Amino acid sequence: MSIFALCDANNFYCSCERAFNPKLKNVPVVVLSNNDGCCIARSQEAKDLGIKMGDPWFKIASWAEAKGVRRFSSNYVLYGDMSRRLHNVLQRFSPRVEPYSIDEMFIDLDGIDGDLVEYCRDARTTIRRETKIPTCVGIGETKTKAKLANFLAKKRPEFDGVCDLRSPDDCARFYPTIPLDEVWGIGGASARKLAALGLLTVADLAAVNLQEARNLLTVTGARVVMELQGTSCLPLTLLAPQRKGLAVTRTFGEAVTDWDGMAQAISTYATRAAEKLRRHGLLATAMTVFIQTNRFKPDDYYGNATTFGIEPSQDTFSLIADALRGTRSIWRQGLRYWKAGVMLIDLIDATTAPAQFFPTRDPVESAKVMQAMDSLNQRFGRGCIRPAVAGVDRKWVAKADYLSKRYTTRLDEIMDVSA
Amino acid sequence: MKEELGGGYRGGETTSFQSPAQDHIEHVIDLAQVLDLGKPGMYPVRVVGQALRERGILDGDILIANAAADPVAGKVVVAFVHGSVLLATLERRASGWCLLPAGKAAALPVSEDAEVWAIVAGLVRVQV
Repeated sequence: MSIFALCDANNFYCSCERAFNPKLKNVPVVVLSNNDGCCIARSQEAKDLGIKMGDPWFKIASWAEAKGVRRFSSNYVLYGDMSRRLHNVLQRFSPRVEPYSIDEMFIDLDGIDGDLVEYCRDARTTIRRETKIPTCVGIGETKTKAKLANFLAKKRPEFDGVCDLRSPDDCARFYPTIPLDEVWGIGGASARKLAALGLLTVADLAAVNLQEARNLLTVTGARVVMELQGTSCLPLTLLAPQRKGLAVTRTFGEAVTDWDGMAQAISTYATRAAEKLRRHGLLATAMTVFIQTNRFKPDDYYGNATTFGIEPSQDTFSLIADALRGTRSIWRQGLRYWKAGVMLIDLIDATTAPAQFFPTRDPVESAKVMQAMDSLNQRFGRGCIRPAVAGVDRKWVAKADYLSKRYTTRLDEIMDVSA
Repeated sequence: MKEELGGGYRGGETTSFQSPAQDHIEHVIDLAQVLDLGKPGMYPVRVVGQALRERGILDGDILIANAAADPVAGKVVVAFVHGSVLLATLERRASGWCLLPAGKAAALPVSEDAEVWAIVAGLVRVQV
């Protein structure tokens, strides 16, 4: 029988900030979304103050600052590296660890002898010590149960951070206490549908027979019920799925009103998207670009998108040219634009793609230039070398005014220690 | 098409006379590997101040702090003490572990507000 554990970091982004800043201990901390807009992570103290997920900072700033809340721009360079560290520690406890998201890892515990709760407690202590990140662990025979166990470990202090939901007694005890929208795979709409039928808790759903579950929630729902009953349907995934599409979209730090600014932004996004393509060894064969004004001002809102086929490519310059051509076709002068994006679609594997008869760019030359750009950017930091059209004086770049340092990946930003 | 050698020559791939070294090529010494920087508990930190000069630790030095290492009396550690990040020497007293902050005369017991963050494992001085 399979055994899974889910190790989930507590308030991950806030915990990463705390790892390198002792002044944040026991202080309410929030991390803001791109462009310093909304709260996307909150420390326990911030949650206790009533700050909600998604609260716009400008709305709560006056009282939150008075209460001593410390806010940070999202520092994804740091969070990504801390996620790697967490994964590395877990691999010492099981060779099979699935990075499900930046702050959640599924672990295959099959074949590990002894007291699994103690084992996971040890993993949790080791992670805390080496990465400074507090976590909770849930154990179950299925991923869905491990996730529920994790929820209990987070909510109920008596578990001391590790909850094992394998015994039928514990399921009988705790399933009736968990609302349905906490179940992995049951969204708000399904939860409401089930509530209308009198199914309110996990216990109610786990008792439904499979045929009925399939009628109510399709095959996906039936799988959830099986998983709740202890039959594993979702195996560990160790490879990230191949991307079908790839998007780079951003809200601007200040409104873009002229074509030059928009061309800079679009070129920057196309550049970034091309880098991602190359990292995954893919070519794009079609593209969507969109531009929009402030959607919170519906009276003079303008938003438009265009999708078109392109010459299969992973070359930054040809993707920029395509993106600009597309943007030109939907551009309207005299508006205040707040957001734009480039999406590459219909991606194909570069190694098996058919050769082109009349390529616009010499593929060998292109590959050389791209490789040189990528290695320079990798060595000296992203954006160190970029196409001139992406701009130098870039007023539209999203705000990140409260960024902490990249403590673990940049030598000139490592933590200072006084002696 | 043959790959151009260009900057990729590593001492073995000669064009005419076969290099007797071609089966004996080794890589440049990788200090990240020597210092174990890939381990999840390893953090480089920067020294600010001269208080540990007598232990050979100078202002501007990069220390490799190992959060996975076990405490050992006499080791220099990175500590979080009352909201500051500082270097301290670890001491073992009858009452338990104590921290002697760099440049201070009095040690303080390890507690919630005086914790060991990592043990200093190595030192890098880029310019001598």
